[in-house]
Amino acid sequence: MLWVRTSWARGESSPVVQPIAFDHRLHAGPFRIDCRYCHSGADRSEWAGLPSTQQCVSCHTPLWMSSSMLAPVRSSVQTRRPIHWRRVTQLPDFVYFDHAIHVNKGVGCETCHGRVDQMAQVRQVAPLTMTWCVECHRNPTPNLRPVEAVTAMGWAPPARSDSLGAELAARYHVRPLVNCSTCHR
Amino acid sequence: MPKYDRWLEFPEGVASEPDALSRRDFVSLVGASIALAGLTGCVRKPDREILSYIDTPPEVVPGQPLHYATSMTIDGYATGLIVESHEGRPTKIEGNPDHPASLGASGILEQASVLQLYDPHRAKAPRAGRTTTTLDAVRAALAPPALTRRVGARGAGLRLLLEPTSSPLIASLLNEVRTRYPDAAIFYLAALESPSSIIAARSTLGAPLAPQYDFSQADAIVSLDADFLTSGPFHLRHAADFGARRRRSPAAQLYMAETAPSPTSTLADRRIALSPSGIARIAAALLDAVQSPNATASLGEVPLSEPERAWVAAVERTLGVHRGRSIVLAGPRQPQEVHAIAYALNDALGNVGHTTWYSPPAVLDAGEQSHDPAAFAASLEQGADTLLICDVNVCYAAPADLDMARHVSAVPNGMYLGAYEDETARTTAWHVPASHYLESWGDARAYDGTLSLVQPLIAPLYQSLSVAELLGALAGLGTVNVHDLLTKEWGHQHAGADAATAWNDALRRGVVTDSSSQRSTPAVNRPAALDARRSIAPQTAAPNGIEVVFAPSHGVHDGRFANNPWLQELPDPITKLTWDNAALVAPALAATHDIQTGRVVRLAVGPASLDIPALVVPGHAADVVTLIMGYGRDGAESTARGVGVDANRLRTGRAPFAASGARLVRTGDHHALAITQSHWTTEGRAPSILGQAPANGETHATTKRRRPLTLYEPKAPSSTGFGADQWAMTIDLDLCTGCSACVVACQAENNIPVVGKQGVLESREMHWLRIDRYVDGNESAPRFETQPMLCQHCEKAPCEYVCPVNATVHSDDGLNEMVYNRCVGTRFCSNNCPYKVRRFNWFDYNDELAETERMAKNPSVTVRERGVMEKCTFCVQRIRRAQIDSELAHEPHVRSVMTACQQSCPTRAIVFGSLTQPESEVVRLTNDSRAFSALEELGTVPRVRYLRRSSDSSPATDGGRS
Repeated sequence: MLWVRTSWARGESSPVVQPIAFDHRLHAGPFRIDCRYCHSGADRSEWAGLPSTQQCVSCHTPLWMSSSMLAPVRSSVQTRRPIHWRRVTQLPDFVYFDHAIHVNKGVGCETCHGRVDQMAQVRQVAPLTMTWCVECHRNPTPNLRPVEAVTAMGWAPPARSDSLGAELAARYHVRPLVNCSTCHR
Repeated sequence: MPKYDRWLEFPEGVASEPDALSRRDFVSLVGASIALAGLTGCVRKPDREILSYIDTPPEVVPGQPLHYATSMTIDGYATGLIVESHEGRPTKIEGNPDHPASLGASGILEQASVLQLYDPHRAKAPRAGRTTTTLDAVRAALAPPALTRRVGARGAGLRLLLEPTSSPLIASLLNEVRTRYPDAAIFYLAALESPSSIIAARSTLGAPLAPQYDFSQADAIVSLDADFLTSGPFHLRHAADFGARRRRSPAAQLYMAETAPSPTSTLADRRIALSPSGIARIAAALLDAVQSPNATASLGEVPLSEPERAWVAAVERTLGVHRGRSIVLAGPRQPQEVHAIAYALNDALGNVGHTTWYSPPAVLDAGEQSHDPAAFAASLEQGADTLLICDVNVCYAAPADLDMARHVSAVPNGMYLGAYEDETARTTAWHVPASHYLESWGDARAYDGTLSLVQPLIAPLYQSLSVAELLGALAGLGTVNVHDLLTKEWGHQHAGADAATAWNDALRRGVVTDSSSQRSTPAVNRPAALDARRSIAPQTAAPNGIEVVFAPSHGVHDGRFANNPWLQELPDPITKLTWDNAALVAPALAATHDIQTGRVVRLAVGPASLDIPALVVPGHAADVVTLIMGYGRDGAESTARGVGVDANRLRTGRAPFAASGARLVRTGDHHALAITQSHWTTEGRAPSILGQAPANGETHATTKRRRPLTLYEPKAPSSTGFGADQWAMTIDLDLCTGCSACVVACQAENNIPVVGKQGVLESREMHWLRIDRYVDGNESAPRFETQPMLCQHCEKAPCEYVCPVNATVHSDDGLNEMVYNRCVGTRFCSNNCPYKVRRFNWFDYNDELAETERMAKNPSVTVRERGVMEKCTFCVQRIRRAQIDSELAHEPHVRSVMTACQQSCPTRAIVFGSLTQPESEVVRLTNDSRAFSALEELGTVPRVRYLRRSSDSSPATDGGRS
């Protein structure tokens, strides 16, 4: 039992080596590409989704397309075989998490995925344990931000705004949901 | 069916005495396994891959299912469907509300057809002789130069056998084939369809017409062996109309004369069990009674027994009151005389043009002989060189005396297009895998002629062809693109700029507007009707020996669905038999022959005989045996193979659906029948189970919802969390036929596994929703009642108190939740459930599924593993989905939710909704005077409320004991 409580067993913080050395620091940092440009399902579907190969190509055709780093993208286009990414954040099969409802209620990407804009290799930052989920589900207000700022990295509530969470909860109709079937069905 | 037998608790030999294994060996082995088990518990989260699209299709948002309209055809008639697809993977089938044959409902065959698509036993590549070949080779063999050399320039040596079809596309392709090969002979065969109704129409109405009915306007219905609510091409529509009429007061009267009790008869007001000859006699007597006395006086009176006379008198009285608003219909397997009498009765009663009318049949015809299996067999003997069989397993389904396998294998160049390497594939040189309808383009007409399109949801999984593609090659068109053929034809018929818009609209809605057939109301030719009446000879005695009736299986139809494990494990609505067929006999016949359920009997008709287990059914006609068809399959489909007995062995081409003069003897053998409900009666508990009035004449105790005496204050509904809604369901027993569409819909929606025959014998079936059926009254003329039984979502749920790990708890919105990941499998909850609706995973039933079968799983529902309890969740995945969608769209209330069972129900007996929405139908029905809770006296306060049968106002005579 002790074992499963270690962060190593939960897969926390250990970097995941991807087939392409995609650097979120650049794309989400100075390039200021919105998370939803590539993870386009985040605000409308259960899954945030991954960019299609074609989407990589659409930006990269004039830029670095012949670079050796992009070899897997080129080969995916040529062979019509998908790129085999490795999952960073995974929940057990009996957990049903819906991205859209969280994003539309003002839970920021950063809240669960961390400062992706500072990661060379994306890693899991949250423990993703049920305790961790339920803490927020019991009292979501501290983790809410305006919907306009969900994809912002390093967002902090404006000074002297202790009531902002409660205001947002009322505005977005956010309520504590702790019934088992909220996530398990 | 080896797969479903493999779930044995221990490996073979484990229970035998250890001979060579010393205690030391044993301890070391156990030690090692414990160490290994310990290690596996310490593994980190599995490393998984995630694949992206190369080019995301514009309509796809990963995670969001798409829905497409298409149609499924059975015996040529289409039912419109809406199919749910997850990232290109069809998972769930629903009825299309815009389609006249569905109106949003779906039957068991439609529901289960998605599993057929993923069947791992489907043939995967074409075969020539014993070697695998390519589809190009198949097309080349059918192409004119090669074929003309074989069959002659005019195609005199060419025979075509198809399933009856209504498709205009197939019709035009067949015309092209006919143009090229004018002497080719075309036949259409369906094992369960008899041309008798059309033949009767030809003689009595002057044209081959199909009768149409509007049950929503009928005040009295007389069914002569027609199970019109649960079988036949338009049964979903009939059930919807019947249900709509039954909600209006005063209710329509339903009279039935039939041999074995059918699901429709469970709703009959007055039912009589008769042999096939008895049904003909009673039809004749009814015609005599309804027509003026002197019209048929010269024909002599039909001899009737006392109960028969009483039934005819009651029917005649009712029909007399409801002239112009009644329906008389004959079953599809009745002889043409009975159909002619039904037409004459509707004519005499003035129903034609009001509740019934006629229209040209939707299916194609190629002359009077084209639907006759005997004519087909004869044509093979007359210089046939090339035979093309499209999707008809004729060597299995034809009557045995035609010896179809010999005829077909005698044709030098036989080609069979079929999904499986079945009995027919064995007799032909070529076998071409047939595409599933979810893999093909096409079109088809519903029973009323309405045209709809068949559009594919997935590219063919294997090297297969559709019928249209095969006929295209035969017509010399080479590799045809069926979609292009359809749009080209569409362009011819819809000239102008709107053609493309109309096409897209038809494709999206799944139905072509205003395409139903012309109605006609021809007068009956009286001499022809009298001829039919005359041919039913006034018999003084019943025919010698025992009569035999061949009836379709409710689940596997004519056998083509026999490899579908959902349908094999679906209990028959009346007998509750799974994984088998049987000879149904009446209690009286069983007593005289000393037969009990499960005893094997030998039934002989003429030279043929059959050993088959008997099943005693209350309410079955005496001196008749009903044999269920569709079993005893012998092809390469390993689920179907060896299940049951092939009843076709006793059928004859002359009288394919009935036989007389049979002899019945016991063989002394016993066969274990997997029956899910062996009990027929409620053991005197009808008031608390079915809500019937108690025998002692008390007023109905359950009309008002009682709060049981309790020391605790009733818990106020929580307004936090999900508490704004309080989910509840009502089931109207007045509308439930027991057809079991809900059971299969639930199985498909909720990833419910199949346990196999041995599992059912051990009462381990997993259906979350079962249908209990009870009989009331005496054994020879009982009254049937069905009751869908699912988790009642008790407000005071007995299961919740006893779970030691809180794996079953209550949600704020009134659901009894089952949390699989918490469950440790003590099964206390199941022991404490008074409704016995909790199911335990004794084995890892999903472990052995083929890769394709896994594709049928609903991604929104957990696939349960061994050792956990499961049960109905009120389709919580649909509720939570609706809540999220409503929140995302900023709607004030949660949009309406339909459970899977409710959505499929043909009569709309199931209603689901929130008790907090005062205008909702579920609130109205929960407070209806007929509403009751099952086992209300236990104080469980279920959220499922039943509406008791309104026709059950007379108290049960002796509490159902008979």
